[in-house]
Amino acid sequence: MIYADNAATTKISDSVLDKMLPFLQEQFGNASSQYSLGTKARRAIEQARQQVAMAIGAEHSEIVFTSGGSESNNWVLSSVNKGHVITSSIEHHSVLNSCHLLESKGVEVTYLPVDSKGRVSLNNIKEALRSDTILVSIMLANNEIGTIQPIAEIGEYLRGRSILFHTDAVQAVGHIPVNVKELGVDFLTASSHKFNGAKGTGILYKRKGVSLPPLIFGGEQELGVRAGTENVAGIVAAGYAIAESVTIMASIADKLSAFVQITINGIKTKIPNIIINGDDNNRLPGMINIVFNGVTGESLMHLLDLHGICVSTSSACTSGKDKPSHVLMAIGLSEQQAKSAIRISYGRYNNLDEVETIVATICKAYNKILAVKS
Amino acid sequence: MKSKVCYVCGKENLSKNEIGLVKKLLDKNAKHFYCLHCLADYLEVDTEFLLEKVEEFKTQGCTLF
Repeated sequence: MIYADNAATTKISDSVLDKMLPFLQEQFGNASSQYSLGTKARRAIEQARQQVAMAIGAEHSEIVFTSGGSESNNWVLSSVNKGHVITSSIEHHSVLNSCHLLESKGVEVTYLPVDSKGRVSLNNIKEALRSDTILVSIMLANNEIGTIQPIAEIGEYLRGRSILFHTDAVQAVGHIPVNVKELGVDFLTASSHKFNGAKGTGILYKRKGVSLPPLIFGGEQELGVRAGTENVAGIVAAGYAIAESVTIMASIADKLSAFVQITINGIKTKIPNIIINGDDNNRLPGMINIVFNGVTGESLMHLLDLHGICVSTSSACTSGKDKPSHVLMAIGLSEQQAKSAIRISYGRYNNLDEVETIVATICKAYNKILAVKS
Repeated sequence: MKSKVCYVCGKENLSKNEIGLVKKLLDKNAKHFYCLHCLADYLEVDTEFLLEKVEEFKTQGCTLF
């Protein structure tokens, strides 16, 4: 199998797995227990909190562990109960659907457009701001096209304006340098399984001094703001995974960017009319979203799957009615083009042979699909 | 609906699953259809694998099967 869907999830790192496994077996204690088994679990959680804090330039007390990126996003958005929220039209559904819920409760939401590369404009944010704007939520990097947003620029503008600023950094953390102070955010969302940690552990950075009402009520876990027995093993994995990712980030990013270029060049020699979505100059390393005119992304994805290659399409047909990606529509593609796209997202375990196999298999599959249409 | 014929071997009355596989894997508006064996040859996979995929697609709720 060749796995090239690392924006969906990543394989857990061997060393991270080694670190987390004891907390599912011999070190299985509840971190709230007062005896040694529990206090060891507590120490492991606090060490992980420190590892995460260091990786994103935060303080230990500003990191809260959750069940995943969706919970972190839901939590921040659901804290708004009046006024106005600004977000973008290309956010993850855990943000967009939270905004729709807010609207049903009387909160007004502005969904900012993006340009053809998927970029949010600071000017549009300035124009959308109102005296009752409570929160701005803009993702750091898009999960379908990889475009990196000018979060630091937005954060600088919002600083001192008494407006909370949240960024969904699920696709960015562990892959590009992220520093919450430089970004100027009040909240930041991350997810461990996106950077070779384990599924089921999310991260919420909450700037010191900013209040956030609990989403889950119960005990005093997670600094008293997020109840529920901690997922100790998952949290330990998150700590080691983020530390490991930051250590190798630069070399991995160089490798993945090269893979993307080889992929684009290789496909273009056989299929010149492809369209590359996103921002060539400001995109996540390893991610590429390509429109193949004349075929559906779904067919291409299935043919690659038949040959053991995992890539994704954002408009998978599961009920006979396929909807085009809201992200691809927002950057101005036609519905047909949006349905003709696939996303390849390389990760640290991919190698050049795999990239070349992907390019060759895509070109072959594309021609097989076209052949049945004529 | 007019019955479909395999583009390669001429097998008549292709089944719903055979037609569904071509539509799902190749194109909903395909002009050429294949029986299971000829489709497996065309896509360079074995027939058992295609039958497994049919079951997967059914489980996912795909109405083509």
